[in-house]
Amino acid sequence: MSDDVTLTIDDREVTVPKGTGLVEAAMAAGIEIPVFCYEPRLGDPVGACRMCLCEVAPGPPKPQAACTLTAADGMVVRTALTSPMARDAQNGTLEFILVNHPLDCPVCDKGGECPLQDLTFRYGPGNTRMTFPKRTFEKPIPISPLIALDRERCILCYRCTRFSEEVAEDGQLVAVNRGAQSVIATFEDEPYRGTFSGNVTELCPVGALTSTQYRFEARPWEIQNVPTVCGLCPVGCNISATTREGKVKRILSRNHPEVDEGWLCDKGRFAYSHLGARDRITAPLVKAGPRRFEQVSWEDALDAAESTLRAGGASTVTALSGGESVEEAYALAKLLRQGLGANEAVLPEEVPDGFDAYRAPLSALRDAKSIAVICDEPVVERAPVVDLWLRSARRKGAKITYGVPEGDVEGLVTDAPGPRYGATNVYYLPRTPNGRGVTDAWSAAGDGEPVDEQPRLLVISGDEAATDPSVRALAADAKFVLGIGMFEDSFRGIADLVIPGTSYLERDGTTVNLEGRLQRQRRSVVAPVPDVTMFISKLAERFEVEVSPHVSVLFGEVAAKCFGGISFGDVGERAELPPRAEEVSDTNPVSDTHTNPVSDTHTRAAGTGLRLVTYRPLFSGAAVERTPELEFQKPGAEIQLSRDDAKERGIKNGQTVTVSSNGTSFELRARIAKDLQAGVVRVARDHAGDLHANVDVKP
Amino acid sequence: MTLYDAIQAERAKYPEGSRSATLEALRLTQEKHGWLSPDALREAAEALDVTPAYCKAVATFYDMYHLEPVGTHLVEVCTNLSCALAGAQRVVDAFTSELGVAPGETTEDGDVTFRTVECLGGCGYATVVTVDHRYRQFVGPDDVPAIVEELRAGS
Amino acid sequence: MPVREVLLAGADDRDLTKLAEYQAIGGYAGVPKARAMSSDDLIAELQAANLRGRGGAGFPMGRKASLIDRSSPKPKYLVVNADESEPGAFKDREVMARVPHRLIEGCLIAAHAIECKDVYIFIRGEYLAEYEILQSAVDEARAAKLFGDVEITVHRGAGAYICGEETALLDALEGKRGQPRPRPPFPPVQGLYDAPTQINNVCTIATVPTIMEIGAAEFAKIGPESSPGTAIFSISGNISRPGNYELLLGTPMRELIYDLAGGIPDGRELKCVIPGGSSVPALSPDEIDVPLDYDSLAKIGTFFGAASLIVVDDRCCMVQLALRSTKFYMHESCGKCTPCREGTRWMVQLLEKIEAGEAELSDLDLLDSVGSRMLGRALCALADFAVYPVASYLKKWRSEFVAHVEQGCCPYGGESSLEGIVAPLDAHRHHPGLEVIA
Ligand SMILES: Cc1cc2nc3c(=O)[nH]c(=O)nc-3n(C[C@H](O)[C@H](O)[C@H](O)COP(=O)(O)O)c2cc1C
Ligand code: SF4
Ligand code: FES
Repeated sequence: MSDDVTLTIDDREVTVPKGTGLVEAAMAAGIEIPVFCYEPRLGDPVGACRMCLCEVAPGPPKPQAACTLTAADGMVVRTALTSPMARDAQNGTLEFILVNHPLDCPVCDKGGECPLQDLTFRYGPGNTRMTFPKRTFEKPIPISPLIALDRERCILCYRCTRFSEEVAEDGQLVAVNRGAQSVIATFEDEPYRGTFSGNVTELCPVGALTSTQYRFEARPWEIQNVPTVCGLCPVGCNISATTREGKVKRILSRNHPEVDEGWLCDKGRFAYSHLGARDRITAPLVKAGPRRFEQVSWEDALDAAESTLRAGGASTVTALSGGESVEEAYALAKLLRQGLGANEAVLPEEVPDGFDAYRAPLSALRDAKSIAVICDEPVVERAPVVDLWLRSARRKGAKITYGVPEGDVEGLVTDAPGPRYGATNVYYLPRTPNGRGVTDAWSAAGDGEPVDEQPRLLVISGDEAATDPSVRALAADAKFVLGIGMFEDSFRGIADLVIPGTSYLERDGTTVNLEGRLQRQRRSVVAPVPDVTMFISKLAERFEVEVSPHVSVLFGEVAAKCFGGISFGDVGERAELPPRAEEVSDTNPVSDTHTNPVSDTHTRAAGTGLRLVTYRPLFSGAAVERTPELEFQKPGAEIQLSRDDAKERGIKNGQTVTVSSNGTSFELRARIAKDLQAGVVRVARDHAGDLHANVDVKP
Repeated sequence: MTLYDAIQAERAKYPEGSRSATLEALRLTQEKHGWLSPDALREAAEALDVTPAYCKAVATFYDMYHLEPVGTHLVEVCTNLSCALAGAQRVVDAFTSELGVAPGETTEDGDVTFRTVECLGGCGYATVVTVDHRYRQFVGPDDVPAIVEELRAGS
Repeated sequence: MPVREVLLAGADDRDLTKLAEYQAIGGYAGVPKARAMSSDDLIAELQAANLRGRGGAGFPMGRKASLIDRSSPKPKYLVVNADESEPGAFKDREVMARVPHRLIEGCLIAAHAIECKDVYIFIRGEYLAEYEILQSAVDEARAAKLFGDVEITVHRGAGAYICGEETALLDALEGKRGQPRPRPPFPPVQGLYDAPTQINNVCTIATVPTIMEIGAAEFAKIGPESSPGTAIFSISGNISRPGNYELLLGTPMRELIYDLAGGIPDGRELKCVIPGGSSVPALSPDEIDVPLDYDSLAKIGTFFGAASLIVVDDRCCMVQLALRSTKFYMHESCGKCTPCREGTRWMVQLLEKIEAGEAELSDLDLLDSVGSRMLGRALCALADFAVYPVASYLKKWRSEFVAHVEQGCCPYGGESSLEGIVAPLDAHRHHPGLEVIA
């Protein structure tokens, strides 16, 4: 018995694997079966829109919804191409859809890239027989600061509600009412608050759900879409940056089936407006007062930087953000390590490479039967799309344990080096978008040891480092601080000289995601300032170090040491996952190279109190701070408890509780989190005040 | 028994993790509050461990849930084919004049909500009227004053 | 004349809502009998009886049971469809109110056939008294240890005609908006909680004990070969003695209307009969010499449907009849699929225009065309149900539609029996803040 089936579609014979949907089978035969509601990523087909009606034998003598059928041996399918019945059915469906559609295409953002327009053009009626007043609704209504809903345009394909219910599982966006009065809605006037809400604007096949940021910003024939990779978290979702007249106007997903499956978080989708922030640094700055900067010419900046570096010498310390591209980090590292012998770096984080022997694509998570998540912080706050993979794994029946599992598991998601509990697929969650790449770049630039003397100069690379409390502490002690970054507010008060930086959307380069996948970032728009590497290259000349201004050359030098010598051009549009590394040691890859934090940070704190974990929310950081539309997504003043701890203390979801730790005590709203182990509570960094690691929670 | 506990009892009738108790939970919540106000929906959602939006989605689908305040009493007249053929409209008119409100409205004093409904499954005993969910059958216009009288006395 | 009663047998003489009374006439004897048989044998017996579903489609109950995927590791479910909402139908209600134990006994037997431990009876929310009777009967039977390891749960609906459609019913039973699911997969393979599920109408299940009692062979001999057994026929509208009549399938329609139900009152003329509840093509007076069974009715282009006759006399304007009927289906459309959601609304708008005398002849063809574009293209049969009757009125009583156009008003001049009837749709307060269609 073969695993293929052979069927005929519009007289064309096609052979496809068993279980292939009819729509895909037709595609394989080069035939279009038009669809609206059908979207396999949203779960089982619903057969609602009736756009896909075809003549199918064997079967009843009436049009069948092709989207709900799977290809079978000997099936004979006729689409609108060869079947008058199918043609009339599809034409009829479009007539019914348009009966109440406002046809306000000229003022619709979707116009020109609208499936409803396209399918009407190909399959629809040329005129309307509807002479009655159309259904009207108040429009557009904001269902959140990010998304506008136009109910008149909605064709009720239920894509958005299925996404909310079955993919993001936030249960926020629903259909209310019945029959002709059905509409999409959130609860009362509450906003659609959820990490992934923006995806519905991309799923909507008409102009019913649109991005408030993109509204009336561009027409499809005036835009370019640049294929690149998001630089805001370690997942590295593949994106297209829509640009018009040199400005980024929106971010769309560019489905990488192994990484993101076409979903983006709202940070990656909407935070691009930070490019035009009011405190964006457009020229080199020197300190001109306690909280004041003054612009200087590039030549003066070069001189100032040179003398500063010479004064700093080998004791200079470098703090990196982990948001730099591999090339930026390398250029800087090469200048400092080879030009000054300054080998002391504060890397954004420790990234163990022992797990690389168990490297796997994120998509493999979905097929795991058992998964352990060892990460006190909510996974969704660190690597949002990983949370979606975990959810789909659970829907497929995977057993997911939070905290140290009993017995072995197939998949391990962890934020710390440690044992792998028999997992064959291990996913390490770095804190920063490119922590791995930056670490590689630093080590590729030299191997000298730090000198042992009191540092005089601190170099801060990037806004994330500049706003990190520990780095700011270092800055306070340093005689002189040289910064590289995008925003004045990040450096005001701590830096003496600041070189303008660029965003991941403005530069060419590479980045390494949490899987260890090397991905290419493309310049989507031209930055208001030259590339940092250009400045560093010039500066390096004065130290007789050769730092190329060209990313391809910089990459080549890193690649020779870290990425198996591949060339810049080889980093593809849809990057593949590098092969697994050699296993370091069979049982426990890293616990002998590091003290194993799992044992001390991941177990219940001593005493009656609860162990407080403060986390850095996804919706925080330099880019989010400069995107007002994302303000409402920030976590509220709440404390997350496990079911057990809540029960034990008689605390109900949503109730106000008193949180106290030696001396200090204040009130927070309680939220019961299913992904918490007993004994641990969570508070977002901004709401944790000066609570200590061990807290008491009382109703 | 609190509403919360009553709803947990309903949930226990069905497989773990199913939402089968939703319809009954909303019915119980409506019995407690008279109608399904936003806060009532929140309360039901909390007990069902679903979002308020989910409860709203379900509640607005079914005719027996009230998403607006209703009177202490509910009078419904079937106006589907069989009752209509037997003169249901005259019964509707009788109620309209006795209560002084049109179908779909509630009396000023908030005492009675009056509405027409689709087939109640009493076609053979037309006209069918429900008073606070109890069937009255073979109702004619002449019976209406007595029914209204009874309601007024009742509260 | 009723040769023998099956469903309501004994209910005239005794209060069969009481367990003791029901047992006194041999009630529940079928359960041990069935449990002594293997599932396969029991299913074979049910298939031999050729009991056709009373819920509308007339699909053989035994065959349905044989389709249950009993090899599945998942639990098997039996779901009784007691949502009875078809305009004109009130038979399931009488069974539940008067012989609840017969339904329960049927559940226990059918459950054994498909190796099911959990039975759900989905009763429409409006049936409050019937729910109370049924629930106490269930409790009584459970207390009497008649269930064994089977559990029966009575689940109340909340007011939505569509929940009678079997897959919508399953969603409602799962606590969702009751909207139909695409098929395949069919319930016997993937039904309630995605597990194999048998769904039958109240009367279908309540007939099963008799098959156990007299044996499939005997049962198959009752009435016409193609559809053995009896059915309770609900008859209403302009008829002298409306009500439920349990008759052999195959009883002539004329006999029911004129001999049993006493014909048309007030000396009026019969104008039309809608034989299966309001959702099927109507018959004109010259078509009523037809045996009341699935195949005979299908032969003349209508359906057995819910075995519910709505009799209409000559005072009724057919356009008003069409309009009132369509307003019902628009009101009940679940809104999931396009042709039904948009089509029913469009039909209502067209019919209102015609009734108002503002239509042109071309609007009659448009109405016909809109209907034909809904037929067979929706996700479930509700759209068809909206179209069947209207298409038949338009075809068989076209002159009345034309008269509306030509006279520019309703030819009945306010005298039609449906004049001014207020449908829920007309005064819609159920969905706050949304349109009330003018
Ligand atoms: C719109 C619609 C409404 C229905 N309503 C009912 C109903 O109220 N009661 C019922 O038994 N079957 C109803 N049915 C038929 C059911 O879908 C299903 O075929 C039936 O319950 C199967 O039971 P049976 O095989 O015993 O007839 C309806 C079907 C449709 C499409
Ligand atoms: S035909 Fe009507 S009732 Fe049936 S699924 Fe479509 S919209 Fe819902
Ligand atoms: S695409 Fe098949 S019904 Fe919508």
